[in-house]
Amino acid sequence: MPLPEQDIHYFIDVTLTHLNKLTGNEITLRSPTIEFQSLVFSAYTGLLHLKGTAEGFVYITASQQFLSHLYTVRGNSGRAAEENCREVIGDLTGHLAQNVTKRFGTTLKLSEPRVFSTVPDDPIEMPPAVFVQPVVWRKEHAYIVLGLASAELSAS
Amino acid sequence: MTGTEIYKRTPTYEAEARSIRIHAPQWKLLLAYDGQRTLSEVALSAEMAYAEAVPLTQTFLENKWIAEEPITLDQYLKRLGAKDITATGAVVAPPVVLHDPEKDKPKPSAPPAPLPVTPPPVAAQPPATPPRPVPVPIPLPVPVPVPVSASAPKPVSAPTPVTPPPLPATPVTTPIPLSALPMPDKPAAKRTMKLSAVVDYITSLVGNVSLGQILVYRVFLRVPPELLLAEDIASVHLSGDASLINGEKLQKAIADAVNAVAKKGLPDSVYA
Repeated sequence: MPLPEQDIHYFIDVTLTHLNKLTGNEITLRSPTIEFQSLVFSAYTGLLHLKGTAEGFVYITASQQFLSHLYTVRGNSGRAAEENCREVIGDLTGHLAQNVTKRFGTTLKLSEPRVFSTVPDDPIEMPPAVFVQPVVWRKEHAYIVLGLASAELSAS
Repeated sequence: MTGTEIYKRTPTYEAEARSIRIHAPQWKLLLAYDGQRTLSEVALSAEMAYAEAVPLTQTFLENKWIAEEPITLDQYLKRLGAKDITATGAVVAPPVVLHDPEKDKPKPSAPPAPLPVTPPPVAAQPPATPPRPVPVPIPLPVPVPVPVSASAPKPVSAPTPVTPPPLPATPVTTPIPLSALPMPDKPAAKRTMKLSAVVDYITSLVGNVSLGQILVYRVFLRVPPELLLAEDIASVHLSGDASLINGEKLQKAIADAVNAVAKKGLPDSVYA
């Protein structure tokens, strides 16, 4: 069975809830898009591969400023360096992984979070379509990107 | 409100959508505004009585979730079905706003002046009211020589205004409607699909915008990307996407995908 809409949306919902908690509910949503040709990558990205009831990937990608603001609200001072930004995006991705594992258990296997800047070192296979949810905070952008592949199609 | 107004959802709606709490039929109406269809058409597609849709629309306007979308001359003509009017050699004015938002529109005391445009060959839909006579050049009357007495000149009376006679049913001088012209190579009944209407329809099938958007995603996972890219659609905006789909293969692929994922057929309202 393909994942119901609620389960698919959980990836986005849990990330938004976490971001709102960190930012004091200051996250604004932009209208989502479905992309067919290319993936969206900002300065830093944290990615999880999915296998099982859903196949594909989910990642969070954010601008340096977005992550720098998050770094500051977590009680740090000064401008976030590259390693700080990687740490922040890694924490966001880890939080997502933890919650997804809690919800889906062994039916959905997750890869170790992969953190990279600009574009991935290893190519990511483009699924037929990816769901992109843009979020804005303090005029800075981040994107939650969901790419589901073959399991979604073959199962239904 | 006359029912001819066109509305689209606003950025305020986008920002507040997740916190809006209204009943499902109201969502259906709210999601049906696409910046292309009139209020009457939107009410019809949302399966809501017009009389019921008007006060709801008013509420949506007050909440700034929708705003009126004026249309250009080209869009107006397209709505009437007069496609490719340039091909007829007609003079086409640059895009102008025909329908000002309600708040700026004063009530005219006299009929509006005719547009400085050659009347377009519109005949796809019968007008709701009898058409006004189209001004036609009338040859000036040739002055009749009047004998003038040298001693008692007669005053020349002012010329009497000439009222154009009513047009015959099928005048030779008026443009021939496009639909009446032979179109040998054009397949009949080719329809254009509005992507925004497809997205809104799928979204409306779920009682929650966010989940509805995921349903849209699942539908488009089943549409071959090459068909989309062939029509220059590299992405779909889930709010107010203005793309139009003319390719029959892509239209069929989308309809099949909706059927496979949502177990529903697409309504006629998704077609322009």
